[in-house]
Amino acid sequence: MSTVQSTEPLFQLQQQSLKKGRTEVLSHISLTLYRGEKVALIGPSGAGKSSLLEWLYAQHSGQIALCPQSSGLVDILSAYQNIYMGGLERHSTLYNLSNLIYPRQADRQAITTLAAELGIADQLWKSVDQLSGGQRQRVAIGRALFRRQPVFFGDEPVSALDPQQAENILQLLIRRHETLLVSLHNRRLALDHFDRVIALRQGVISYDGPAAALTGAALDALYAQ
Amino acid sequence: MRSNPLSTGRRLLWLSLGLLLSALLCLPFADLAVYPSEPWQELGRIALGLVTPWWDDPRILASALGQTVAFALLAVVISVPAGLLLAMFWHWRPLRMLAASLRAVHEIFWGLLFMQLWGLSATTGLLAILIPYTGVFAKVFAEIFARQSPAPAQTLAGTTGRLSRYAYTLIPQALAEISHYVRYRFECALRSSAILGFIGLPTLGFHLETAFKQGDYSNAAALLWLFFLLIASIRFWLRPRLIPLYVLLALLLLPDTPPVPQGLMWQFISQDIWPRALTDGDIVAAAAWYAGVFSREAWPALIETLLLTQLALVLTGMIALLVYPLASRALVGRGRIAGRVLLLVMRSTPEMIFAFILLLLFGPSGLPAVLALALHNGGLIAFLLAGHSEQQAQRVDDPGGVNRYLYLHTPRLYPGFLAFLFYRWEVILRESAIMGILGIATLGFYIDSAFEEIRYDKAFFLILVTAALNIMVDSVSRRLRRYSGAENSGGLG
Amino acid sequence: MATIKKLLTLSALLLAALSAQADTFVFTAIPDEDESRLQQRFNKVADYMAQQLGVEVQYIPVKSYAAAITAFRNNQVQLAWFGGLSGVQARRLVPGSEAIAQGYEDQFFKTYFIAHHSTGLQPLTTLTDELRGKTFTFGSKGSTSGRLMPEFYLREQFQAAPQDIFARVGFSGDHSRTIAQVQAGAYQVGAVNYTVWENELAAGNVDPQKVSVIWETPTYPDYQWTIRGDVDARFGAGFKDKVRDMLLNMNDKDLLASFPRQSFVPAGNSDYQPIENTAREIGLID
Repeated sequence: MSTVQSTEPLFQLQQQSLKKGRTEVLSHISLTLYRGEKVALIGPSGAGKSSLLEWLYAQHSGQIALCPQSSGLVDILSAYQNIYMGGLERHSTLYNLSNLIYPRQADRQAITTLAAELGIADQLWKSVDQLSGGQRQRVAIGRALFRRQPVFFGDEPVSALDPQQAENILQLLIRRHETLLVSLHNRRLALDHFDRVIALRQGVISYDGPAAALTGAALDALYAQ
Repeated sequence: MRSNPLSTGRRLLWLSLGLLLSALLCLPFADLAVYPSEPWQELGRIALGLVTPWWDDPRILASALGQTVAFALLAVVISVPAGLLLAMFWHWRPLRMLAASLRAVHEIFWGLLFMQLWGLSATTGLLAILIPYTGVFAKVFAEIFARQSPAPAQTLAGTTGRLSRYAYTLIPQALAEISHYVRYRFECALRSSAILGFIGLPTLGFHLETAFKQGDYSNAAALLWLFFLLIASIRFWLRPRLIPLYVLLALLLLPDTPPVPQGLMWQFISQDIWPRALTDGDIVAAAAWYAGVFSREAWPALIETLLLTQLALVLTGMIALLVYPLASRALVGRGRIAGRVLLLVMRSTPEMIFAFILLLLFGPSGLPAVLALALHNGGLIAFLLAGHSEQQAQRVDDPGGVNRYLYLHTPRLYPGFLAFLFYRWEVILRESAIMGILGIATLGFYIDSAFEEIRYDKAFFLILVTAALNIMVDSVSRRLRRYSGAENSGGLG
Repeated sequence: MATIKKLLTLSALLLAALSAQADTFVFTAIPDEDESRLQQRFNKVADYMAQQLGVEVQYIPVKSYAAAITAFRNNQVQLAWFGGLSGVQARRLVPGSEAIAQGYEDQFFKTYFIAHHSTGLQPLTTLTDELRGKTFTFGSKGSTSGRLMPEFYLREQFQAAPQDIFARVGFSGDHSRTIAQVQAGAYQVGAVNYTVWENELAAGNVDPQKVSVIWETPTYPDYQWTIRGDVDARFGAGFKDKVRDMLLNMNDKDLLASFPRQSFVPAGNSDYQPIENTAREIGLID
């Protein structure tokens, strides 16, 4: 969390609205994200956090590692293969095909190390349908980490983990990415690890400012329905 | 470390490797010689025929088309309630055995049997389709019921009658799945109905076989294209509300059933299908007769049939996996139109037609039979997979192209794919039996010979052997499906 | 889905169909060649018969030799144009039935063995070991000229079953297809009805560069009209004789071309004793 903040805007929205079908899910959003910012996205469920993430993602998909709520794991593949999928674009199809049959030493090493950091090294060769909810979530994060992108977008990425694990893994994510935009339900995590907080409420930005300026009570108000 | 025996993916992998190995082991024993031939002149005529479909008397065409639909529709309309009824008593083992033997016999052989009594009539055609279909429906419906939540039924009084219990809980719970399956089966019934023309019923197959036999490939093409159109357009004309009307029309269209001569039925059941020695009461001689037929014909044919089936099964799987992405919007986008046409042609062309063309290419051996079976069944499974592939949830950062195929769709579809493949196992076994025309001595070859030689006793015995083999394969495939965890992946056969 | 009512309607209709069709004289013919337009061609024959016999006459097409025999046995047809073997099989099943006429050509019928040019086989005077190891196709399993007689001569010459002489033995289904498959080289050698061969040759469907006759069998009796014994009881005394006369007097070239024969001549069951003996010898009948 000690990267230098630049003045180069990575994402920019000005008074823009997003419609899904006929309903407007986000209204008049003005938002600028700079390279190097660590931003927490908070707000009650249904406020439009996921929509905002998807929307911004569509602007710049090339550099972003995404970890959406629907984890997108492939059940019968092993945790290893599910993580490896994050790096598909780096290799030729032939290479990827051979990895399905027999993973190469280098990839195995890289992913085993990553799995150890995530605490799932023991589960690496199991099909993910046999893992617990928390383990599956860590596999999904593993895939995002293996994408090796400068920007991380997460939609409740640590919701199924216990507090200590959540803490550790969030720190890991922050260490590995220059810029982060993460929606969170846990307000303490938002305040402790992020330098900017954006709160959404019924499709409208209700707060956008430094995390340090927020007290616990003000935060409670932002989460309230 | 990498081979955790519990892992689902590993289990599916081992199972697949096991299947592959079984096919490789069959390879040296199967009869797959290639004979050099000069097929190009004939193949050229076939190709020319395919692009110049022609038929001069539309009335004959219309009548054959009408009969094809009429037989299929009535057979399905009768076999669905019959299958439902059987499925309600599925816990009763003898009933399961009965259903398995009903579907163990190919439509063509049921047709040949009934033809002895009712000739080329509505009764023969209807029974030939609806009897095996009842067996199939019973099994699939029972499996669909087993997948439903038992909770609604548990809230009813314990004394509620079986019929009302099913009518209020399991049937409505499963209705969407059942109607989806019946729709799919109707397409199969159209194919069965058309194929029954090969033995003389007045459906499309009647003229198709003639046209191919005579080398009138333009006529054959007209019939094939028409049949493809019929299959492709099902969803436009098969409306639930119109079914009663269709049933009435179908009843009017069906050919007459001539009276069965007095005593023929009894004679057929009590005399014709048993060896003379048995009806004379000479048990020892009868046993010797059965043993003779078994060791001379049934046993070698059984081995040959199993070898062909195993090879065709594995090849079917490979073809299905390779071809399905071509028809999935999620994988090839708009290009899927071409893929869909390809799959339509693959699954709707009767295997016999494939076999006929491949025979010209490779000469007479098991090879054309295996390829024909695999093309047809591979096309069918690919069609089902493509449908499921389009229903997959997608996320915005999913990889595209071949990576998407390798890492997302194929692994997600794989358990379902194996389930389809195991269902098709028994179907391929049944169908390999009718590949006897290629001079391969499968069970079907001997059954057909027995009918041709008017030896119903032998035909009946060989049909029983085929049925027993089918029941065995069915039970093995059920076990493997359960083991692979592929069981809950949708009951489509 | 079907209700009980629909099932009832269906069975009622089926029953109604059962009681229809009282006294129409029905005949069939084995499907040995050019099945297309069979219905049209034989409807003309049916019209001629109706006019000569004074009863309604109907032709029903069948797809196999066995189906023709079954229909004859079940009295769904009363008259049938059978091959030598199928006639013998049918008459064994229907006591009192009788062969009443045969084609002029059927008195001295024969089978041609044909071969693809790549085999290098030249016309033979007897079957020789050159044939061993080739692929071979019969016609239909129940055919006299396409199966019974060629198998008989093969067994006689080689003292072995066809499966042990050839690398592969197939059954093409009918004579036209035998010619097509040998011509394409799918099978190297085949056995074919000589009239069908001559017809296809005349019609230009055979490429003599690719396929040619290498041997012909000695002659034997083949196709014939067989009628059930109970037709007199059903259609009136003397009906069988009327049918025989009608057949023997058929001289319209167009009608005869359906068979294809130049004329019909009298025949009897005993003419086919040699066929029955042969069939028994090679185990096709008990």
